Amino acid sequence: MPQLDTSTWLVTILAMILTLFILIQLKFHKYSYPLSPAPKTFKSTSFPTPWETKWTKIYSPLLLPQQ
Amino acid sequence: MNENLFSSFITPTMMGLPIVILIIMFPTLLFPTPTRLINNRLVSAQQWLAQLILKQMMMMHSPKGRTWALMLISLIMFIGSTNLLGLLPHSFTPTTQLSMNLGMAIPLWAGAVITGFRYKTKASLAHFLPQGTPVPLIPMLVIIETISLFIQPMALAVRLTANITAGHLLMHLIGSAALALISISPTTALITFIILILLTILEFAVALIQAYVFTLLVSLYLHDNT
Repeated sequence: MPQLDTSTWLVTILAMILTLFILIQLKFHKYSYPLSPAPKTFKSTSFPTPWETKWTKIYSPLLLPQQ
Repeated sequence: MNENLFSSFITPTMMGLPIVILIIMFPTLLFPTPTRLINNRLVSAQQWLAQLILKQMMMMHSPKGRTWALMLISLIMFIGSTNLLGLLPHSFTPTTQLSMNLGMAIPLWAGAVITGFRYKTKASLAHFLPQGTPVPLIPMLVIIETISLFIQPMALAVRLTANITAGHLLMHLIGSAALALISISPTTALITFIILILLTILEFAVALIQAYVFTLLVSLYLHDNT
């Protein structure tokens, strides 16, 4: 059985150690597993002044007092 | 006949150069390194597969056992891809070599056992005596459990070697039989060819299952010892 010919064992084992413990792990080390993208809830830190909570017609740009 | 049958298992050398090194390193070319935030389809599919396997395998381990995650995912991908590539005609399958499988099994098993002895010495030694054994049976049972422990790496290596080698040999034999039967009786050749196709489907399954079993058992030895 050719698998029992021990003259090639050293080369095979060294090649396998190189591949399995170094090369393949370098590839899988770089994998990232991000979470699925979802929109973040937007919470405002600044609160509108009382006259700005209700939009009124006077705030449209053309109706503001002209400079 | 003997020499021809086993010739696909001889370690390939070309003019004295061991090209088996290149053959063993070839599956790493099939896993490109992800460089972008959003990668191409191949890399994304491999990342998805790796995440699926990792979640399944690492769920049962403690945080100490989960440090082995990179090793186990590399192991299952390496063995799986090597076995699948070996199903191509005229290819050499490194996992048919007992040397390589012993080289994989012994260090991984030894790492798990030594980790167990270092961090949980009492619990590791307690594995040698199952709970509730009658007192007169204790010496014999310790001997049996010790033998059972030391045979684990050998069984890992020989299981993988024998399964893959046997599958390849069977495909070789049935294929030669189908070819030889064409000139004698085409119907029998057709039946043999159908058997060959079914066997190839089985070999695909065996290739993946063996990778899984190897990794699962290493994972189990790890779980016992962390």
